[in-house]
Amino acid sequence: MVVINRGAHAEPGTSLLFKTGNWRSTECPSHVHTKAPCHAACPAGEDQQAWFAWLQEGHVELAWRELVRANPLPAVTGRVCPHPCEAACNRNAIDAPLAIHNVERWLGDEAIAKGWAYPVAPPAEDAPVVAIVGSGPGGLSAAYHCVRLGLRAEIFEALPEAGGLLRSAIPPTRLPRPALDAELNRLLALPGITINLRCKLGRDVTLDELGRSHDAVILAPGCQESKEWNVDGAVPTDLHEGLHLLREFMDHGEFPAAHHVAVHGGGNTAIDLCRMMKRHGVEQVTLITASALPGPDTDPADLINVVPRELEEALEEGIEIVEHATVKRLIMKGSRVTGVEIVSLKKLTGTDGRKHRVQFEGTERVVSVDMVIPCIGERVKADGLHSLLSRRHYLDATDPWGRTPQENVFAIGDARGDRGTVAEAIGDGRLAVEAVAAKLFGLPDPVRDDRGEMPAAGLNTVYFGPIERARVPKLPVADRTFEAEIEGDIGRLGALREATRCLSCGNCLACDNCWVMCPDNAVIKTAELASDGSHYLFDLDYCKGCGICANECPTGFIQMRTDTWQDSDQTV
Amino acid sequence: MSLYETDRKDERLAELREKFGRHPVDPPDRFHQGGSQRDRQPRFCGLESGHRACQGCGEALAARLVMECAGPDVMVANATGCLEVFTTPWPQTAWQVPWIHSLFENSAAVASGMEAAMKAKGRNTKILAFGGDGGTYDIGFQALSGMLERYHNILYVCYDNEAYMNTGIQRSSSTPHAASTTTSPAGPERMGKRHLKKDLLSIIAAHHIPYSASASVAFPADLQRKVRYAMGIEGPTFLVVHSPCPLGWKHDSHLTIEVARRAADCGLFPIVEMERGALSNVMPIRKVRPVRDYLELQGRFGHLMDPDDPRAVEELTHLQALADYNISHFNLRGEGEDPADTAGIAHVARDRSAGER
Repeated sequence: MVVINRGAHAEPGTSLLFKTGNWRSTECPSHVHTKAPCHAACPAGEDQQAWFAWLQEGHVELAWRELVRANPLPAVTGRVCPHPCEAACNRNAIDAPLAIHNVERWLGDEAIAKGWAYPVAPPAEDAPVVAIVGSGPGGLSAAYHCVRLGLRAEIFEALPEAGGLLRSAIPPTRLPRPALDAELNRLLALPGITINLRCKLGRDVTLDELGRSHDAVILAPGCQESKEWNVDGAVPTDLHEGLHLLREFMDHGEFPAAHHVAVHGGGNTAIDLCRMMKRHGVEQVTLITASALPGPDTDPADLINVVPRELEEALEEGIEIVEHATVKRLIMKGSRVTGVEIVSLKKLTGTDGRKHRVQFEGTERVVSVDMVIPCIGERVKADGLHSLLSRRHYLDATDPWGRTPQENVFAIGDARGDRGTVAEAIGDGRLAVEAVAAKLFGLPDPVRDDRGEMPAAGLNTVYFGPIERARVPKLPVADRTFEAEIEGDIGRLGALREATRCLSCGNCLACDNCWVMCPDNAVIKTAELASDGSHYLFDLDYCKGCGICANECPTGFIQMRTDTWQDSDQTV
Repeated sequence: MSLYETDRKDERLAELREKFGRHPVDPPDRFHQGGSQRDRQPRFCGLESGHRACQGCGEALAARLVMECAGPDVMVANATGCLEVFTTPWPQTAWQVPWIHSLFENSAAVASGMEAAMKAKGRNTKILAFGGDGGTYDIGFQALSGMLERYHNILYVCYDNEAYMNTGIQRSSSTPHAASTTTSPAGPERMGKRHLKKDLLSIIAAHHIPYSASASVAFPADLQRKVRYAMGIEGPTFLVVHSPCPLGWKHDSHLTIEVARRAADCGLFPIVEMERGALSNVMPIRKVRPVRDYLELQGRFGHLMDPDDPRAVEELTHLQALADYNISHFNLRGEGEDPADTAGIAHVARDRSAGER
C-alpha cells in the first residue's frame, strides 16, 4: 500500500499511468478522407487535389502521372473542358477558384515537350482484345484504360484521322491542331493499341462481327446527325445546321454569305459558330438561347451550358445573346428567311411537378435576319447500331459503366444521350473499361466511390489567406484569327504558384495543427505508422475528446465520429 | 559529490523508503526513455499526457506549448491553481522537469530562491515561474513585483483564464468587465463584473524589465517565438498567455482555439510585446471582428446577448468601446505587409514558404 507523507516527490511523467481516454463521453476524432469538390465534380474522374499536392511539393512529373491515371488527354481537356471543377472549388468561399484548367493544360503540354511516358506497362501478347468503335475522346480514353488495366484495344474509326469531334468540331482557336496531334499520336503509339482508319461500322464491319471477334465491344460513335429542326413545320430551303456548317468551315474555310445571322441554341457548338461567323465578317450575329447567362441569381440548372471563358470571349467579340427566349415564327419571303419572331420563355415547374418551357404571351418581337442556323444538338447516326438505339435515337446505356442490354457491349460518351462534354466521354471510357476488365479477369464488378464531398463549411478557412488567382494572357479581340490559340499558357512558375492556392479539401496537408493544439498531447506525429495518408495518429489512451483538433483542422480531414475505442485497445 | 556519497545517499533513501513505505526507487515503467512513438516525438514534452485538465483546457495547451520550447534544462515554480492541481495528483506528476509548488502567493519568491541557488551552484538552468491570473494579478502580485525589482533571471508565465477557475469560477482582477462569475453573477442588480480587467502588462512593463509580452493559445507559433525570445534574455521576463477555460467561460470544448482567436481579432485581448516599458511590437489585426462575435460563444457573457434589454446593450457597447480603445491605443490595425500578422501567422500549406505572397 502506498502511504502518502510530507516532502515526497513523484517520478517524472508518471501521469502517463493514468489513461484519460476513458473520459471521452461520445465522440472521438478520426481521419476521414472525403472527396475534394473538384474531384467530385470532375466528369473525367480526375483527383485534382491529389495532383495539386504533388505540384505543391514541386514534383511536376508525379503530378502528371497522377493526372493521367484518370485522364490521358490533359493537353486537350485543359483547353476544351468547361471545368466544373473550378465552379465547385472551395476557394470560391475565400477569393476565386483555382485556375485548374490552365494548370492541367500546362501539365499536358509539359509532358509532351519532355516526352514523359504514360505510366502503363505493355499488355501481355495473349491479353483479351477489346473492340472500340470511334476514336473521339471517349474511344481514346477507353483504349488507354484498356492498356492501363492490361487489355489490348483495337479501334475502328470511320474517318481518315483519329480524334473524332476534337478534330471535326472544335475550332483551332480553342484546340490548336499541333497540340491535339501530339497528344493523340503518343497515345495511339502505346503498345497494345491498334487503330483501323476508314473502317466504318455498318459498312466495313458489323457489330455482330465485332462481338464475335473480340472479347468486348465499347461503342463511342458520338452524335453525328443533327436533330430535326423546324418552327411550326416551316423550314427555310437554304437551311444549314450548326455542326454541319462548322465542319464545312473547318474543311473549306467558307461560310454561306449572310449579313445578319440568328443562331438558335445554347451549347459550345453554337457559341463557336457565332464567333467564327463574326470573325469571318458577318455584320451581326445573334444567339437565341432558352438558358440564362451567368449572373448573381442564376440557377445553376438554368445556366447556359458553355465553357465560361468562351462565353466571356464571345461577349467581348460583340456577339449579341438573347437569353430566356426561343424562335416562335420564321418570317419568310417565299422560301427565304427575312426575320425571326422571338418570344421570351422560361423553364418552370408545372402542376405535374416537371419542368416545362413556358412561353410568355405579349413578349414577341421581331429581329430581321437573313439566315437562321439551328444548333440544337445532335443524335446518334443509326448506321450499324439499329439494335441498340433507343426511341430518342441514342444508345441504350443502363448504368454509369455504360452496360447495354447486349452482353459485353458498352456504350459511352455523347452517344448515350445523357452526356455532352469531352470530360464526360473520357470518364465514361475509364468506367466502361473498369467494368470490362473486371469481367474479363474474373474480378468483382467495380463499385461507385460513395465517399462524401467536403463542403466549404467543413473547412477552417481561417488558416488560408487570400492569394490572387493566376492571370493568363489572352489575345486581344483585334488579333484573333481562325488559327491562333486565344488563351495563353500559364507557365511553370504560374502553375507552381497556383498549386499553392489549393486548400487540400478533405485531405491531410501535414500542417501540424492537431499535433500542436492538442491540450492532452494525444496526437502522435509519425509518417511511418499513419496508414491513412496523414502523418498523425490519435493516442486514444489519453484523448479526452474535446474536439479542438477537428475544429482546427484546416481541411476537414479530422472529424468527430462515434467512439468505438475500448480500454483494451492500444493505439501507440 | 563523489560516487561514494551518491551511493550512500541512495542507501539512505532506500532506508527511508522502507521505513515510510513510499513507492519503490524505480517506477514500474521508465518514462520518456523507451522506443515508443510517444518517446520519439520531434519535440520536447515537458508536460506529459495523463494530466487531469478538463476537455479542451486552454491552460494545459498553453503550458505544454511553453514547456516545448523552454525545456528541457529548466525548473518550474508553480503557484496554486488549476495548473498545479491537474498536473500533480499524488503520487503522479505530468511534469518531465523539476517542479515545485509551495503556496498561492509565493511562486515568484520561490523561483527567486531557486534562481539564486542555481547561481550559487554555477549552473545555467533557467527558472520558470508559472501562475494563473489569480496567483499573478491578485495574490502573488507582491512577490512578482519583488522578483522583477530584484532582477532575477526568471521567465514568469501567467496563464490568464480570467477568473479563479480552480476554486469555482470566482472573479479575479483579470476577469473582464461584465463577465458573469460566481462572485460577480449577472442578475437584476448587476450585469456581471462591475470593474475593469487590470492592465497588468503595463504595470509589469513599468518595472523597466527587458521583455514582457502577451500571447494567445490561438497563435502557437507566435507564443513559442515569444518564449524562445524570453529564454534568451538574461533577466526577468514576463509572458501572459490568454487561455480560454471551457468550464468557466461556458463554451464548448472544441471552441477553445476559436474563442481565443476571436478575442485577439476583436481587440479585447491585444497581443503586444514591450521592452523596457515601451511598446516594441504588436500583432496587427487584418480584419477586425465585432466583440459580439467573441462574446456570443461564451455563456459568461450570455446576459449581454438580449437586444431588448437596455442594460445588456449598454454593457455590450461598453465592451466594444474597450476593444476599440485597445485597437487605437496599441495601433492594432497594422499597415503594410507584416510577418506577425494575426491572419498570416497561422496560415498552413504543404510548402509553407510558397504559400506566402
